Amino acid sequence: MLQMVSRSATTAESRAAGGAAVSIHNLCKRYNNFEAVVPTSVEIASGDFFAIIGPSGSGKSTLLGMIAGYIDPSAGRIVVDGRDIVPEPIYRRNIGMVFQNYALFPHLSVAQNVAYPLKIRGVAKDEIAKRVRESLAMVRLEAFASRMPSELSGGQQQRIALARASIYQPSILLMDEPLGALDKNLRDEMQEEIKRFQQELGATVIYVTHDQQEAAFLADRIAIMRDGAMTQIGSPRSLYEQPKSRFVAEFLGEASIFPIKTASARQADQTCRITLEGGTEAVIRTGEDGGPGRFACIRPERITIGPKARGLANSFTGVVRESLYTPGSIRYRVELKDAGCLLKVRALPQHNTEVFETGSSVDIGWSVDDMTILAE
Amino acid sequence: MKQRSFLLYLPVALLLTPFFLAPMAVIGTESFSGQHGIGAEYVKVVTDQGIRTVLYNTFYVAAMVTILSLLIGYPIAYVLARLRGRWATIGIFLIFLPFWASTVIRSFAWMILLGRKGPVNSILLGIGLIEDPIRFIDNGLGLMIAMTYIMVPFIVVPILNGLRAIDPNLPRAAAVLGANPWRQFLAVTLPLSMPNVAVGCTIVFVTSLGFFVTPSLLGGDLTVVSMLISEQANRLLDWPLASALAIIVLLLTIVIFALLRLSQLASRRRGKARSGVFA
Amino acid sequence: MSVSEKRLWAAWSRFLTGLVGAILIGFLVPILVVVAVSFQSKSYLSFPPNDFSLRWYQQFIGNDDYRSAILNSMMIGASAAALATVAGISTALAVVRAGAPGSAIVSALSIAPAVLPQIVLAIGLFPISVWLGLQGTLWAVILAHAVIGLPFPFITVCGALTSYSNRIEIASMTLGANAFQTFRLITFPMIRPAVIAGFIFAFAASLDELVLALFLSSPSTRTLPLLLWEQLNFQVTPEIAAAASVILAVTSLLILAATLLPRLDKDN
Repeated sequence: MLQMVSRSATTAESRAAGGAAVSIHNLCKRYNNFEAVVPTSVEIASGDFFAIIGPSGSGKSTLLGMIAGYIDPSAGRIVVDGRDIVPEPIYRRNIGMVFQNYALFPHLSVAQNVAYPLKIRGVAKDEIAKRVRESLAMVRLEAFASRMPSELSGGQQQRIALARASIYQPSILLMDEPLGALDKNLRDEMQEEIKRFQQELGATVIYVTHDQQEAAFLADRIAIMRDGAMTQIGSPRSLYEQPKSRFVAEFLGEASIFPIKTASARQADQTCRITLEGGTEAVIRTGEDGGPGRFACIRPERITIGPKARGLANSFTGVVRESLYTPGSIRYRVELKDAGCLLKVRALPQHNTEVFETGSSVDIGWSVDDMTILAE
Repeated sequence: MKQRSFLLYLPVALLLTPFFLAPMAVIGTESFSGQHGIGAEYVKVVTDQGIRTVLYNTFYVAAMVTILSLLIGYPIAYVLARLRGRWATIGIFLIFLPFWASTVIRSFAWMILLGRKGPVNSILLGIGLIEDPIRFIDNGLGLMIAMTYIMVPFIVVPILNGLRAIDPNLPRAAAVLGANPWRQFLAVTLPLSMPNVAVGCTIVFVTSLGFFVTPSLLGGDLTVVSMLISEQANRLLDWPLASALAIIVLLLTIVIFALLRLSQLASRRRGKARSGVFA
Repeated sequence: MSVSEKRLWAAWSRFLTGLVGAILIGFLVPILVVVAVSFQSKSYLSFPPNDFSLRWYQQFIGNDDYRSAILNSMMIGASAAALATVAGISTALAVVRAGAPGSAIVSALSIAPAVLPQIVLAIGLFPISVWLGLQGTLWAVILAHAVIGLPFPFITVCGALTSYSNRIEIASMTLGANAFQTFRLITFPMIRPAVIAGFIFAFAASLDELVLALFLSSPSTRTLPLLLWEQLNFQVTPEIAAAASVILAVTSLLILAATLLPRLDKDN
């Protein structure tokens, strides 16, 4: 399939095939006194799937708008394959974009929607017809060519938007919350579809979403935005396992986070002993210095609950304050004895897993590698 | 893009500058250029008994037409708002059908209907309600009837829009709380439609102030301000006085719409925001 | 609420609906009366007409004044509506889409001609029309009518543009279309019903307008309402009723076409 598509790409557009490297230098956007995006620099490699996540108002859509060209940056450069595209109007940037509500043209049929970018580029009629067929085949909607967009379901409209944004082989594909309007089951299905599609197309994708699971599923790298700045960039795993701030740790997945009162000097094996507020002491292995003003963070699935916790480097007894069985996991809130710390715990239920009732006393613990230190 | 957006103003600027703004400037300067000294025309407008009568008549007719249009238009809008589908379309079509006939023709129709020997008098005489034909044309009654007929669609549309925008759950909530249909209407529907009633009344009142055709044909001895302006300009060639009168009408129009806007802003600030026509 | 009380309210509701229905049908009576008196043979208006004749229609058809007035009204109406529509579309685009500065003032000015009494504009426009050498030409009335027609396409197109997100146009531009191509292929097809409605309203406003025509036209550029008005002031004969009936029939057909055409368009 991929072969077929790239063969049909004409010379004028073939330079775009394969995905461009994007490097953003000190890009920023100010509205009067409000900085929607502070000067931001980031490198996105050719063919990368790069997701930008953050709460609403964090500046992620503004950033995408500047790359697409419908928001003028206050300063900075966007270099695509060595060329600064900021001075270029939207329609010369050769960027594909998929919008949140698809932005399909309601007065054009599915085939006409997909053909639109080729028609604008003056591609010959029979060539357009051929490529529209191929493109619709790629999103498996050949049978819907003559329908109007309003006659399609949300997921189908989404796939048409994908086909339309990619038929001219843009080097960069921008997606702004493309699955935001779909219900949960369809969203999971479309994630698979988008992933497969990007792999076949080979384009560089910049993907904006507020859904951290979606980003983790799709992206090679994720940038987390807050107040107009990218607070941390990394692979889904590194962001989850080594968050640098409370914000990142809490935004991406669940975590129990405690302020650190005191910390011993680091030992030769990179471990140190920290005291949490409430007096709980723990030994952790860390690359970061712990101390007042910093935080200790532990993910709920890293905590062992039950008799197995007794032999661990950090071992405590606690009382189950809340116990909830949810599909796929058992969630607890456990209060450590004499400390008052409340820990979120997630256990994977297996056929013989004991479920602890609220109010029962349990052993709880974690190894030196399970807790991380957050700088802020 | 931003810089070129000014180019989109070009057609409207070419149209309105010479043919709308310049005329306003012309009547402004003309109104002060009379032989009797600066401002003399305005003094005359205020002091001249004849002109004062004309202005009074104009306001009286406009006010009566507004009240009559509201009394007829509100029930129409209320019923149309509750209709759905085909009947609603038919209702709106019916109310707009006469709207497409020109004002001259509609005024002419009322000349026939309300004439001394016209059908209305014939019917009233026939059923014995009156003994002598009513002289509709002479006493301003015919004028108000014809103008109301012409203005009703203008008040139905904004009120209909307002009524349709009311959340149907609100009267239901009142009903659950024990209000009978009449109390539901008084407590919920009527107050919520008031901003649009204000819009409709303003449109009818201002339009009525400027009416020319219908008063000329059906007014009898009654003169309204548009007729006076036309007469001063055309027949008596007193352009300064005509201009001063026009300026007064223009200012009145602006003041009335400014008052409407202020009341809309005030009610919006009170959190009773409804979609206004001039939002 | 007891059952009888419920029945009472239902009856009241039916009564109100019936009353409004009667009023709406009553609204047609004046129009029908005009048509009815046009078919009589007497030379003064009498109602109910007690005979039938096409005499006044024959006279109307043979009347060159009507022919030229209808022609003038059509030319003025079409030209004025076209000018108003072009200005209205472009202003609506500037105000709703381009975020051009001063949009509040421009909007107010573009709506103002709809509420300003026409006599005010007429006496201001007369000296300007003389000064520009337009007085007595069709252009004087066309331009004046373009001004009073402007609010209609402006309001309808603003409504159409605000009814959908500008994302549609941004999408078109990301797909490679420049501003002009985007307007031609995307924006215009989407606002077309509003453009047509605005044009028809502007045309109707011109066809109905009397005061500006009274001040700005000459006998050779006399419009239809002006001719009717002059005739009414001169002598009321059933010929006016015949003329009015023909005009009513033609406008009804136009309105019918305007409401049916978009539907046929959709079916194709």
